[in-house]
Amino acid sequence: MVNLTIDDKQVTAPKTATIYEAAKMNGVNIPILCHDKKLKPFGACRMCLVEVEQMKGRQIPACTTPVTEGMIIRTSTPDIVKARKMVLELLLLNHPLDCPVCDKAGDCDLQNLTYEYKVDTNRFVDEKFHHEIDYNNPLIERDMNRCVLCGKCARICDEIVSFGALTFIDRGIETKIGCEFEDGLNCEFCGSCISVCPVGSLLARPFKFKARFWSLTKQKSVCGYCGTGCNLTLGVKDNKVLTTLYDENQGFHKGQLCVRGRFGYQFINSDKRLTSPLVRRNGRLIEASWEEALEVVAARLKGGNSVAALGSSRLTNEELTLFKKLMLENVGSSNFDHSAGYAHSALTSGFARSFGTTASPASILDIQKTDLLFVIKTDSYETHPVIGFEINMAVKNRGIKLNIISDKRGKLSKLPGANTFVHKPGSEVSVLNAIAKSILDDKLAVGSVDSVQGYAELAEALKAYTPEAVSALCGLTAEDIKKIAREYASADKALILFPIGQGYVSHNQEMSCAVANLSILTGKLGKEGCGVLCMSEKNNSQGAVDMGFFPRADGMNAQQILDACKNGSVKTLFVAGENPIVSYPDKSKVTTALEAVEFLIVSELFMTETAAMADVVLPACSFAEKDGTFTSTDRRVQYVSPSIRKNSNCKTDFEIFSALISKLGGQTPVSSSLLFSEISSNTDGYAGMTHVSLRKESAFASVNVKPKLIVPKASAAVSSEPGKLAMVTGSALYHSGTLSQFGEGPMHVCPEAYVEMSRKDAANLKIHDKDIVTVSSPTGSLKLNVKVTARIPEGLVFVPYHFSAAPVNAIWDGAPVTMVSLTK
Amino acid sequence: MSDVVAQKTEEQEPEVDLSIADAIIDKYIDIPGNLMPVLQAAQDEYGYIPRTVADHIAERLNVYPSQIYGVLTFYAQFHLKPRGKFIIRVCVGTACHVQGAPRIVETFFDKLGIGHAETTPDLRFTFEKVACLGACGMAPLAMVNDSTYGAMTVQKVDDIVADYQQRPLK
Repeated sequence: MVNLTIDDKQVTAPKTATIYEAAKMNGVNIPILCHDKKLKPFGACRMCLVEVEQMKGRQIPACTTPVTEGMIIRTSTPDIVKARKMVLELLLLNHPLDCPVCDKAGDCDLQNLTYEYKVDTNRFVDEKFHHEIDYNNPLIERDMNRCVLCGKCARICDEIVSFGALTFIDRGIETKIGCEFEDGLNCEFCGSCISVCPVGSLLARPFKFKARFWSLTKQKSVCGYCGTGCNLTLGVKDNKVLTTLYDENQGFHKGQLCVRGRFGYQFINSDKRLTSPLVRRNGRLIEASWEEALEVVAARLKGGNSVAALGSSRLTNEELTLFKKLMLENVGSSNFDHSAGYAHSALTSGFARSFGTTASPASILDIQKTDLLFVIKTDSYETHPVIGFEINMAVKNRGIKLNIISDKRGKLSKLPGANTFVHKPGSEVSVLNAIAKSILDDKLAVGSVDSVQGYAELAEALKAYTPEAVSALCGLTAEDIKKIAREYASADKALILFPIGQGYVSHNQEMSCAVANLSILTGKLGKEGCGVLCMSEKNNSQGAVDMGFFPRADGMNAQQILDACKNGSVKTLFVAGENPIVSYPDKSKVTTALEAVEFLIVSELFMTETAAMADVVLPACSFAEKDGTFTSTDRRVQYVSPSIRKNSNCKTDFEIFSALISKLGGQTPVSSSLLFSEISSNTDGYAGMTHVSLRKESAFASVNVKPKLIVPKASAAVSSEPGKLAMVTGSALYHSGTLSQFGEGPMHVCPEAYVEMSRKDAANLKIHDKDIVTVSSPTGSLKLNVKVTARIPEGLVFVPYHFSAAPVNAIWDGAPVTMVSLTK
Repeated sequence: MSDVVAQKTEEQEPEVDLSIADAIIDKYIDIPGNLMPVLQAAQDEYGYIPRTVADHIAERLNVYPSQIYGVLTFYAQFHLKPRGKFIIRVCVGTACHVQGAPRIVETFFDKLGIGHAETTPDLRFTFEKVACLGACGMAPLAMVNDSTYGAMTVQKVDDIVADYQQRPLK
């Protein structure tokens, strides 16, 4: 700590602080335009000039000058005020004063500073800029005439997003921000640039002319897409969510969002939302009253074991608990599951065996605290972009090492110093086992490891996985495998990350055990910056697991439920928020099952493909219309309150399940808060949490790890077939599950499914970028747009799974790797 | 910006041989801070930086394409369009200006049919006005590639253009 004087006040600040930070910590606000606490100091705008007595009264930028012992700083002498006024005058010389039509008005740093410093005249005269406005993309409008060249957009795109779409172009007075060769913006559309723009140069196009900033009510919420658990501020007016607003103090991610979080909110107020219960009569779904619909449903639920349920991991913890109660206690069936039955197996069956718990023994915050990040699949960026930002920052700013094993290269491969080891698709477990074997062979395991339960069995089983043997089938060299093992074992702290989800079949219980083994063998567990983070797919995937919404020994899992629908042993299926027809593997199997089941109940926001087949459809509520808790992938439990009032004819799933419980003669909970108290006392790690405490601050559920070494079974290697390519599926960056299809933002930039292939295969097959090809597999065929990219290795194609219009499950039966042929 | 966009659609960039760029990149790939030397060598080899070359360098050096474009537009030494074999520079600094440089410039414009920083369609000439060539005693001054022409007159412009018109392009 150093002692210094700011505006005649004796204060202290950490040695590493800049004058700006020291002042802010001590309640003195210095105006800034180009500074952002998340970015490296830049010192471009000269708004933060201060005087330091030791520097002979010279005016120096507060944002780039570190504090030193005994500094005497003045932040607002008449000279400084004059200098700042001049900076503003010079900026306003070129900046158009079109505030009445600028969406930034009211939230504009330049406008606020102009007001604060009373710059009502300008001593200079100059022309305004005449740059053309970039309307080339549907989400981000770029008006360089308003730009003050603070460079924050270009810097955030480099330092945090690591995409580098924007940069300074030209020189001197002609300098502007733009893309290569004056192209329009074509990037990830995360909108980080919009969030930091101090003026109206970068604006969210979906929000253009929707509302003035000051007329919006700011509602804090939690993003409803992936498992990262980002916090959101929704801009609400007239009970409509009109935009998302940036709050640099919100969440671990400091307000950073991805394209889904920032631009995918439109589903909340979509006019496609269901607004009335529907009951099938004479083959058609007809509007009905709630009483009528619930009566029909309740009657059908009195079927004991012939009733099954599929829930969505987007429901709140309270709703999932209630759904489970309804099934177990009132219906009398233990057939309930979520996420196709396999997407949670890494936790419910893998970690449960390896760690004795169904949660990840690491948090997102560990990413910045580790020495080595070991990422399985570059898709970790696409599935969880904000965790991807954390990885970017860790690697770029902290020099944390990054090793990736993946079946394709990706955005993370481009990070400085990143090593991507591309293996053949489907060979993950073998590779991980070979790494474990290498750790044992090279005596890199911790000394006490032979006392861990299961050590002998594992050591024996790993004999088949020598790096040399695995090398032949996975495509990596034995030296690569040994190098990964060496680097992982010798790092002081190392963290393993891998995504799970319906698109990642191979990330199952076997793989999570194989991953867990590595951390147990090397003792990278239970310490800060160590452990394994299994990145769950949806916003409450971890919560669904914590609430136990998956089958116990006596219940059927999702796949068995579908089989039972087909063979008639399940007669009533209650689907809450899932769309199995699009998201579960093997479309024809799912369709046959849903056609065969006697009675199908669906509670949904939209008329999905699954809802269209239902006998009763119940209109439910989105995350913005209900209260409850979501548990993020690293078990951060967060409370959401309703941001808008729900449509009076919709019910939350909580209300639906409550009504059904009472119709079946059960005891309904008084409120979700009371139910949550029950949850917190029954759920491991949730003790002490209440809605009241979570409303103030989110809390981590503790994870109690009992390590055990498990022998992971590697699936048989996929044999290549001549003329065929290996297809893998997964998530596209712009989408999450099937819900994002109803968010206009994601659909604007990634409207349809595609098949991504390597340049070499494209050349061999004479296929070009943007061609339409037919992809055929043993289960069907699908017409898809082609994307030829450098990241895909020869022999592989990637097809994302989110899209109803071209559902990958038409050609994919749930195998980790499917051999397909492409024809024009 | 509008004319840039218009030009882009009008002019189809000629096929460029990326193996030249690859050879340059191979030479510098392991050296930190290699972007400038690579771009300079590419400029020397191709005479300008074609877009395909810029994109290729971006991919191989793992640098953002935007960053390369920022560098290319910042330094006057880089060119984004093909340049003529003969670069005619006319000084318009103070001394040359007083000695009649504007008329020299105008005459070149008339003779070549191109303006400042433009290139003739046959890629023979590129014309540039420059601020000072550092030889004020020879004002008004013109240069063609490395040859210097002092005490320029309108008649001399004709001679220079005629002379270089006859030289072989290859």
